Amino acid sequence: MEHNREVEIDGNSNPIQISRLALDIGGSLIKLVYFSRNSGDDEDPPKDKVRVSNGVNGRLHFAKFETAKINDCLQFISANKLLLGGGFQHQENCTNDRSFIKATGGGAYKFSELFKEKLGISLEKEDEMDCLVTGANFLLKAVNQEAFTYLNGSKEFVQIDHNDLYPYLLVNIGSGVSMIKVDGDGKFERVSGTSVGGGTFWGLGKLLTKCQSFDELLELSHRGDNRAIDTLVGDIYGGMDYSKIGLLSTTIASSFGKATSHNKDLEDYKPEDISRSLLRMISNNIGQISYLNALRFGLKRIIFGGFFIRSHSYTMDTIAVAVHFWSKGEAKAMFLRHEGFLGALGAFMSYETHSLDDLVVNQMMPLPVNASLGMDTNYDPLKGDLNGTESIQCSVYRA
Amino acid sequence: MASLKEDPILEIDGIIIKDEFEIGKPVIDKLREDRPALETEGTVIKGESVIDKVREEGSGGQGERDMVPPTSNSIHRSGSRPQLDLSKAAIEGNFEERDPTILLPNQSDDISHLALDIGGSLIKLVYFSRHQDRPTNDKRKKTVKERLGISNGNRRSYPILGGRLHFVKFETSKINECLDFISSKQLHRGGVDSHSWHSDTSSNGNAVIKATGGGAYKYADLFKERLGVSLDKEDEMDCLVAGANFLLKAIRHEAFTHMEGQKEFVQIDQNDLFPYLLVNIGSGVSMIKVDGDGKFERVSGTNVGGGTYWGLGRLLTECKSFDELLELSQKGDNSTIDMLVGDIYGSMDYNKIGLSASTIASSFGKAISEKKELTSYKPEDISLSLLRMISYNIGQISYLNALRFGLKRIFFGGFFIRGHAYTMDAISFAVHFWSKGEAQAMFLRHEGYLGALGAFMSYEKHGLDDLMVHQLVERFPMGAPYTGGKIHGPPLGDLNEKISWMEKFVQKGTEITAPVPMASSGTTGLGGFEVPSSKGGTLRADASALNVGVLHLEPTLEVFPQLADPKMYEPNTIDLANHSELEYWFTVLSDHLPDLVDKAVASEGGTDDSKRRGDAFARAFSAHLARLMEEPAAYGKLGLANLLELREECLREFQFVDAYRSIKQRENEASLAVLPDLLVELDSMTEETRLLTLIEGVLAANIFDWGSRACVELYHKGTIIEIYRMSRNKMQRPWRVDDFDAFKERMLGSGDKKPCPHKRALLFVDNSGADVILGMLPLAREFLRHGTEVVLVANSLPALNDVTAMELPDIVAEAAKHCDILRRAAEAGGLLVDAMINTSDVSKDNSSSVPLMVVENGCGSPCIDLRQVSSELAAAAKDADLIVLEGMGRALHTNFNARFKCEALKLAMVKNQRLAEKLIKGNIYDSVCRYEPAS
Repeated sequence: MEHNREVEIDGNSNPIQISRLALDIGGSLIKLVYFSRNSGDDEDPPKDKVRVSNGVNGRLHFAKFETAKINDCLQFISANKLLLGGGFQHQENCTNDRSFIKATGGGAYKFSELFKEKLGISLEKEDEMDCLVTGANFLLKAVNQEAFTYLNGSKEFVQIDHNDLYPYLLVNIGSGVSMIKVDGDGKFERVSGTSVGGGTFWGLGKLLTKCQSFDELLELSHRGDNRAIDTLVGDIYGGMDYSKIGLLSTTIASSFGKATSHNKDLEDYKPEDISRSLLRMISNNIGQISYLNALRFGLKRIIFGGFFIRSHSYTMDTIAVAVHFWSKGEAKAMFLRHEGFLGALGAFMSYETHSLDDLVVNQMMPLPVNASLGMDTNYDPLKGDLNGTESIQCSVYRA
Repeated sequence: MASLKEDPILEIDGIIIKDEFEIGKPVIDKLREDRPALETEGTVIKGESVIDKVREEGSGGQGERDMVPPTSNSIHRSGSRPQLDLSKAAIEGNFEERDPTILLPNQSDDISHLALDIGGSLIKLVYFSRHQDRPTNDKRKKTVKERLGISNGNRRSYPILGGRLHFVKFETSKINECLDFISSKQLHRGGVDSHSWHSDTSSNGNAVIKATGGGAYKYADLFKERLGVSLDKEDEMDCLVAGANFLLKAIRHEAFTHMEGQKEFVQIDQNDLFPYLLVNIGSGVSMIKVDGDGKFERVSGTNVGGGTYWGLGRLLTECKSFDELLELSQKGDNSTIDMLVGDIYGSMDYNKIGLSASTIASSFGKAISEKKELTSYKPEDISLSLLRMISYNIGQISYLNALRFGLKRIFFGGFFIRGHAYTMDAISFAVHFWSKGEAQAMFLRHEGYLGALGAFMSYEKHGLDDLMVHQLVERFPMGAPYTGGKIHGPPLGDLNEKISWMEKFVQKGTEITAPVPMASSGTTGLGGFEVPSSKGGTLRADASALNVGVLHLEPTLEVFPQLADPKMYEPNTIDLANHSELEYWFTVLSDHLPDLVDKAVASEGGTDDSKRRGDAFARAFSAHLARLMEEPAAYGKLGLANLLELREECLREFQFVDAYRSIKQRENEASLAVLPDLLVELDSMTEETRLLTLIEGVLAANIFDWGSRACVELYHKGTIIEIYRMSRNKMQRPWRVDDFDAFKERMLGSGDKKPCPHKRALLFVDNSGADVILGMLPLAREFLRHGTEVVLVANSLPALNDVTAMELPDIVAEAAKHCDILRRAAEAGGLLVDAMINTSDVSKDNSSSVPLMVVENGCGSPCIDLRQVSSELAAAAKDADLIVLEGMGRALHTNFNARFKCEALKLAMVKNQRLAEKLIKGNIYDSVCRYEPAS
């Protein structure tokens, strides 16, 4: 279980009031977003925050569990009393007593009985794409330093003019990959996708290595050298670049192409190399298809999100390089710090407390990330946690 | 001829023939005396004794023709040399087994060029062997040429000589076999000193062979050492594009689509070929935008290609070869490994974005399950999952690139495909899926040879640049059905080796004849991103392997100039894409095979050798049929005409040059004996009566067709009289298709208006014997009488009992002995230059006669594909204003729907019930007289 630590780290000794919970139950991970009200509404707002009367200050928390361990998740919800709902009764427009929580992702259907049984609540299903887009739009507009580019190991935050945000291509890399052209709030279209995504990386990786977790596999890739397995252009042209068509000798000509060698078996390859090769294959592919789709619709920005990335620098680098390569430098890959929680955030935004969406949107001011979390020194890549973005200080309004 | 209906009496030329045939007596008597009987055209033959004779003689007959009046679209046409002595045809010593051709002894045949594509797993060879036309001594031909204004010079104006383009492949790991092959055929030498083509090689043995592919570097030293040749490396991309351009322009049935197990050939207009996207799937994938010859750009690619499939496949399964892995995928079920939309959404479709429950959400997404390890998954499932992942991905990226550049067509090639049905389906599905049906993936039959062909094209002065589609004829070697498009066995030397090879197959019990049931449409169920509805057991792994034949370059072939719309022209009337149709004709052909073999063996004297060849022929042809049953498109698009020509080619392959020789001869003699009386009878008629009688005669005589099973059975069971009676009964007008009145008006006018006679009529003749002698010749004579030049168009090579252009001059000469009109015309047409006829003293004064000429059509099939005819026919046709197509093969099976720039008359008796129903909603023995004004 990836219990987020914000509760402790927050250092807020006041009892936290959980206000709202939303879930994104994917094929491999369950993502939770919930809001906790600060003990007092009058707590000092961040200075750049535009204070709106009647607002409620609090924090958005992010947590995730493996879908396979859904019971941990259920336990977490129940242990943290996330269903108590605090200040925002989501039932306010609901006539029966039955409580429900917003949920998206395929598992919202699949596990709906389980939630009913174990927690006595209904899952109100929100469309996955809607949630993704809503979540992304929210982050891009509401959170400072949310989007960044990544090239050659260096991260650079991008300030996006809200008025010039649309249209953009949102690429959500979960188990599979969805590519969504976003034209505005609630205005979007799934234009493409690919089945070669995070699930493929982890699935193939699991079959090919002894790794026990996605993160372990990812970590392995750091130390790998894909040249042991991939056929490079140089391998074919005897170390010469095939410059005529603009291919460097280090360009991968065929992923896993060297594995066709008759002399070697699976055991003869290092798991690190395999992992690296897999990662490059999949990242590169996603980058390429994304770019081609952006090109097709004339989209300047491609924003990548989803759990595959996990702020993994090499993954981002590969995707960025692919986009850079295929676009000849004209397009840039951007990433989101909260990439894994787009769906859950979107589901969260979908509560209809007199249109919470509107409230948030109306606030529109950037919400700074809690600084203490942002630089979390305890960040452990193996846990796959994000760069300390477990919570966002924010205010929400009741209408 | 309304009288016919009222009266059981036939009226011919104003002469009434009663059932008793009194009037025909002289003719009959004559027949009774000496020959097996024939009759037709108004001539009546009687006499049971004759029939008995026929019965005996006919018993060995085969006649598969009824089903077969095929057309040949493509098999062999020897450019135009009916004068060759086919009986001495021999198979060139070093033809490898895939080469189906017979070398005519008078032609020199030189290997001129060899090019190689040495890839990681396969070596592909393309080589060209050419043959020179022997000098034309033939006087008939000379005269015809003068007449038609095509001097020999015209022919020489072709810069290239005819020849054959061969395609051969070897496994790279067995490169020595390849070297042996080259060495045994002296392929490397041929390029050096044989001809001036090769100006860049010196004669000092410093030969150079064009080569491409990575191995061109790797094995350069080996070639030098073993063969003493240097490899001249050509750029891979250049070669791919040059090869693809050549194939797409030169071969009619090269590109095809493959959706859900269904293959469909696509006709591509040469002028509308560019630009296109060429996706070459090797270890990696290159995507090339092709804008023209030599104009291309690599616009994209992906590193997820064939190497990824095989590499990952090897790591994940125990497979020892790429093909094994591919084969495994047939039995796989990817839903055990891939995460489907249904797995996520609890088996509900995610309709909102158009994804069904069986859509793959994440390739290998289920493999993340903690409980399972690699060994818990079936290799079959892994292979299928991999195959889909990679194929879909390639399809998707290709489509996106095509879209980006506005390219309508995407051609996929490269070793990853290998004619594998699932792979093609998967790619097609991806393209279809992402383009929402607007783009189509296409594949190439010779896809494996793109690089080698391109290297071949890179020779300077190979002379193939301006090659036209109509100059290429593809033929399939005896071994084709066995090799199924795969790597073939060792090169076979002579005919004897071929036969032995064939016999060996039978001894080994190799399953070659049992047709594999074809998958009904859609059974691949490769729903693209979806789970296959069937696991693939219905489709053989190699079901889509396409054979590659030898391309015969016949520079003298041309498009028939009178075709109204050559681009839209489709020779075949019957589409064999319909499986039941296919089955029917296959049954017909198979049923007639024993008869044909008997006849063929008899034609060669019934020797042991001929029996052995006959057996081998039967096996080879049966194998071809079986192969086509399981894969109708194995040899490219399949029409009835192709099927029929295949049989003729197969006969020639085993050196049966003319199975019907003796039968034709006998029937010709019998008919010629009857002719004079017929002509006398005709001459006594009025012009109008005579015209009808002549047309009736053509139709009735067309019944004597050894290609028709129904007719052969008649020969066996009935009397000639009965046959003729039946035939004449059927003659009662109106015929099933009856435009006679329109034709008559054109010929004779109405009222006082005398129409202008035709300038030149082309008469496409059909069978020997009565058909041509008592049917077509009298009709030709009538045209001559009207002052119309007549060109008899006959086969270049024998096919069933069809009369050939080589045989016709003798027949005409014989007929001319008894007829001044024919004699003068034949003299004028140069057919009697040998002065076989001495009665010609008189003729000098009449030398003003319009000519009667004979030209060969350029083919050796019972049908005719008018896109590929001999240059002399093309020349003769330019001034023609009437075309008469006679017989099922040329007027019904092919060309029934053909439109011409000039007038056309299509005459045939339908000797096949199924065809009759299908084509004219009639019955067997119905007649067709279709007259079409110029369009």
